[in-house]
Amino acid sequence: MIINSGKNERTLGIYVHVPFCLSKCKYCGFYSQAEGDEKKTLSSTGDKAVAASPLTVEAYMKSLLEDIEEYSRVYEDCNFIVDTVFFGGGTPSILPYEFIGEIIAALRKGFTFVKGQPEISIEANPKTLTADKLKAYREYGINRLSIGVQSFDNRMLEFLGRAHRAEDAAETFKLAREQGFDNINLDLMFGLPNQTMNSWRDSLDKVLSLKPEHLSLYSLQLEEGTELFRMFENGEFAQLSDELDRDMYHYALERLNKEGYDHYEISNWALRKDLRCRHNLKYWDLSEYLGLGPSAASYVNGVRFSEEPGFEYRENSLEDNAAELAFTALRTGEGIDRQLFCERIGVSFEDVFPDIMKRLEEHARCGRLEIDDRFIRLTEKGIDTSNQIMSLFV
Amino acid sequence: MDQKFIRNFSIIAHIDHGKSTLADRIIENTGLVASRDMKEQFLDNMDLERERGITIKLQTTRLVYRAKDGNEYIFNLIDTPGHVDFTYEVSRSLAACEGAVLVVDSTQGVEAQTMANVYLAINEDLEIVPCLNKIDLASSRPEEVKAEIEDMIGIDADDAPLVSAKEGTGIVDLLEAVVEKIPAPTGNPDGKLKALIFDSVYDNYKGVVIYARIYDGKLQEGDEILLMNSKKKYEVTEVGVMSPGHTPTKHLSAGDVGYIVASIKQVKDARVGDTVTLAGDPTETPLPGYKKVQSMVYCGIYPAEGEKYEGVKDALEKLQVNDAAFLFEPETSTALGFGFRCGFLGLLHMEIIVERLEREFGLAVVTTAPSVVYKVVMNDGREEMIQNPTNLPPLTEISHIEEPIVKADIMIPKDYVGTIMELCQERRGTMIHMEYVAGNRVQLHYEMPLNEVIYDFFDALKSRTRGYGSLDYEFIRYERSQLVKLDVLLNKDLVDAFSMIVHESRAYARGKFVCEKLKEIIPMHQFEVPIQAAIGQKVIARTTVRAYRKDVIAKCYGGDISRKKKLLEKQKEGKKRMRQFGKVEVPQEAFTAVLKYDNK
Repeated sequence: MIINSGKNERTLGIYVHVPFCLSKCKYCGFYSQAEGDEKKTLSSTGDKAVAASPLTVEAYMKSLLEDIEEYSRVYEDCNFIVDTVFFGGGTPSILPYEFIGEIIAALRKGFTFVKGQPEISIEANPKTLTADKLKAYREYGINRLSIGVQSFDNRMLEFLGRAHRAEDAAETFKLAREQGFDNINLDLMFGLPNQTMNSWRDSLDKVLSLKPEHLSLYSLQLEEGTELFRMFENGEFAQLSDELDRDMYHYALERLNKEGYDHYEISNWALRKDLRCRHNLKYWDLSEYLGLGPSAASYVNGVRFSEEPGFEYRENSLEDNAAELAFTALRTGEGIDRQLFCERIGVSFEDVFPDIMKRLEEHARCGRLEIDDRFIRLTEKGIDTSNQIMSLFV
Repeated sequence: MDQKFIRNFSIIAHIDHGKSTLADRIIENTGLVASRDMKEQFLDNMDLERERGITIKLQTTRLVYRAKDGNEYIFNLIDTPGHVDFTYEVSRSLAACEGAVLVVDSTQGVEAQTMANVYLAINEDLEIVPCLNKIDLASSRPEEVKAEIEDMIGIDADDAPLVSAKEGTGIVDLLEAVVEKIPAPTGNPDGKLKALIFDSVYDNYKGVVIYARIYDGKLQEGDEILLMNSKKKYEVTEVGVMSPGHTPTKHLSAGDVGYIVASIKQVKDARVGDTVTLAGDPTETPLPGYKKVQSMVYCGIYPAEGEKYEGVKDALEKLQVNDAAFLFEPETSTALGFGFRCGFLGLLHMEIIVERLEREFGLAVVTTAPSVVYKVVMNDGREEMIQNPTNLPPLTEISHIEEPIVKADIMIPKDYVGTIMELCQERRGTMIHMEYVAGNRVQLHYEMPLNEVIYDFFDALKSRTRGYGSLDYEFIRYERSQLVKLDVLLNKDLVDAFSMIVHESRAYARGKFVCEKLKEIIPMHQFEVPIQAAIGQKVIARTTVRAYRKDVIAKCYGGDISRKKKLLEKQKEGKKRMRQFGKVEVPQEAFTAVLKYDNK
C-alpha cells in the first residue's frame, strides 16, 4: 500500500547501518562485528569451517554503494525527497571518515535531498572521534552527533563491556562542540545490575552539566543472543529490581523536566521541539524510511523489509498499518493523533478499533492513558507498563 | 468341548513385573496366532496404557494348547487391570477363573500390589500358580524370592517355573503347570443359565459386547437374557469366543468364557459383576459379589477458554459408553461457567479420563480440585452426600461432617520407614500395624482419610521411596471429622473452582501452600492481586502478586518495528492460555498445581 501524503513529493529517511565496532558491548543485540573478530577470522581464510566469511570494510563499502545505486533506481519514480539520514551501528565513527563522505556523496547522487538542511546524524563512541574526523563530518553536512556515553561510572562501563572510560565522554563532547556541533545527543543507560540511585543521579548530573541538546535514556534490556543474556542465564548477576529501575526512570523524568527538556518519546528528550531527532520520529508515525547495510530495516511503499542477516519481507495490510501506527505512536509524547491516523489509514481510529477503544478507556480510568478529542497518550505511569497497552493492537 | 480340557485363568502381577510380555509369550507358544498378528490384539491397546505401563481395559483371549499329555486344552486367559483404582474389576475377572498365574519379578520380589491381588485371588478360591520372571537379569535372585512368596503369601513356590518373558524361556514349563495345577471348571451344562459379566466394551457396530463366564447352563443366539441386578432383558444376537478376535460360535456352555451381543446400548446397562440368566427360565440365585461401582473421587471438568461445551459433552459421552465406572453430570461454576461434575474410581482413573480428553479428542479442559464424597449430617438429622465443596450447606445448618476412611497397605524397603511414617502422619494416618517382611521390606498398615490419599499421596510415596514404595487401599467406613471448607479469593473474589474441604488442623498449612503456589503461577497484572485463603469470613493465609512495575520496550531503534511487534505478539500469545476471573488472569495449570502438595 502506498501512503499518500497528499503531495506529489514524498519524504524519505535513510538509515545506514555500519556493522563495525572496536569491541562488542555485552548488552548489544544489534548486528555488528568487533575488530578483534574480524582479524581473527581474516587470518583464518581458507578454513572452511568459517563459512560465513567476515565482512571486510572494503566489501561492506562496495556492496553498500551498489545498494545505494540499486535502490535509487528502484525508487526513481517515487519522487522521494530525502530529509533525514542516520548513520547507526555498530559504531559508524570507527569507519575512516572518507568512507562516510563517500556514502553521503553516493546518497546525494542517487536521491534528491531536501532543500536547506536535511538532518544528517551519526552515532559515535567516545575515543573514536578526533578533531579531523569531526571537521570532516561537518564538511559532509553532518549536523547531528549522537555519542554513546552510557554511564559515568567506570564499574558500569566495564560491566557493559564498553571500550571507553567515564572521562572520555566529556572530552569527546567538548571536542565536538569545538568543531561546531550544536546538536548533540548523549546516550545513557540505567537499570544496570548493581547500579545505585546515587550512581544514576551522578551520571545524570554529569551529563546535564554538558548541556546536550538531546538525551536518550535507555533502561537495560537483556536481548537474547547477547553476552549479557548468557551471563544472566548462567546466574552471573542479578537484574536490578523493576522498582529501582522505574524509580530511576521517574527520577530522570522529573529532573529533566526541571532542566527544561521536552520528553517527546519514551526514551528521548530534547531541549527544544526543533531539536527532536527527526529521523527517529519517522519510525513512530508510519513515515517511510530506507535502511541500507546489513540487517537494516525499511518501510517503503507499505512494505516492511530487512536486509540480511534477519531478512524479512512483509507487505503490510491496512490492518497492519493501522496497528503499527497505533502502537508506535503511543511511544511518542503526543501519542496517537487520531486526526493523522484517519488521514494515513483512511478510516477513523474508533472504527478500526472499536473494542480496543473500550479497553483504552479503561486504562485511562486507571490513570495509564490520557484521552482527549484528538490524542491518546500514555501517562508517565502508563509508560512503565506500556507493552500491556501496545499489545492490544497486535 | 469337554469341561475337563478347559483352563480359565488370569495373570496377576505388580506393575512392571512383566505381565503383558508374559501374556504375549503365552500366546506365541500356543501357536494359535502368528506373532506379527498378535501385537494389536494383546498388548495394552491405548497409548496411555503403554506409556504408563498399566492395563486399563481388560483383554481376554482363548488359546489352544497341546500339552505334553497329548491332549488339546482350551486356555481362557483373562487379563486384569493393574492398578489400585480398579480393584473391583480385578476381583470380578478373577471370579471368572479357577486359577491365577502369579508373576513375580525375581529381581524385585513381592510388592504390595502383588499381595493385594493375591488376596483377591485367594478370596475367590483360586489356585495360585507362582512363576518367577526376569530370570535372565543378573540381579535375579529366584531362591530368595521363592522364600518370600512362601513366607508372605503362604503358598508353595518350590516348583515355580523360572521364566524370562523377554527371552521366551520357561514358558512351556509354565503352560504345563497351568494344565496340571489349575482345576478344570465344574459347572452343570444342563442347569439353569448362570453367567458372570466380568467386562463389557462398546463396539460401534454391535453395541455393547459382554464378556462373560458361563457357570451353569447354555446360551445361544435368539435366547432372551435377563441381567439380574439391572433387571433388564435383551435378545441375544450373537455369542462367541475371543480367539483373539470375536469368533461367533453356536453356543456357550458351562465352563466357557466368551462374549455375548444383545443390542445393549450402553456399558452401564451391562455392569461388571452382574449375573446373566435366561429370562424364560431364570436361576433363583444370582452370583454373589455384585457391587455397583462407587465413585471415590469427584472433580469438575470444564471447557478451557475457547473450547466448546458441546464438544466436551460429546467426548465425555463417548468415554462413558465404554467405561461404566466413569460418571458425569452437568454443573455450573461461577468461576468456570458451564461444565461437568465427574466421578472416578480414583485419581489415576481421573487422570486417564482427562488425558484421553486431551489426546483422543484434542480438547483443552480445566479440572477443579478433586474431592471425595463427604457425608454431611444436618442439624435435623438429615444426611447429605456432598462431592462438590461448593455445595456444602451453610455451617449453621450442619451438625457434623463425616469423611471416608480407607485402609491403606503400603509396602516399602525398610530404609524408607521413617520418611513414609512421617508422610502418613502428615496425611492424618493412624498406624494399625507394621510388619517386617522378607527381603528387607516393611509393610505398613494405616487407616487414612481418603481425602489425604487422593491428592498426591501416591506420587509422594513414589518419590520419597525412589519408586520402590507401593500402595493399595480400600474404603472401610465413614468417620466424623473436623472438616472445614477452604476457599480461595483472587483479588477479593471467591473462585469456587479452587474451594476444597480439608481437615481443620491442616487448613492453615494447606491455605498457605495454595496461596504461595498461586503466587508463583499467576502472572503479574497492572494492579496488585491479593490471593487469600479463607475459612468462611476468616482469612487464614494471604499473598500478593505484585503489580507490574515495568513492562516497556526501552529501545526501539533502527526502525525495526517487526521485531518489536513480535515481542508484543509473544506477550499476547501467553495471555490466550489464561482463564479470566474477574480482572485476574489465571493460567490453566494453576488448577492442578495447587494439588501437588508434597514438597519433599
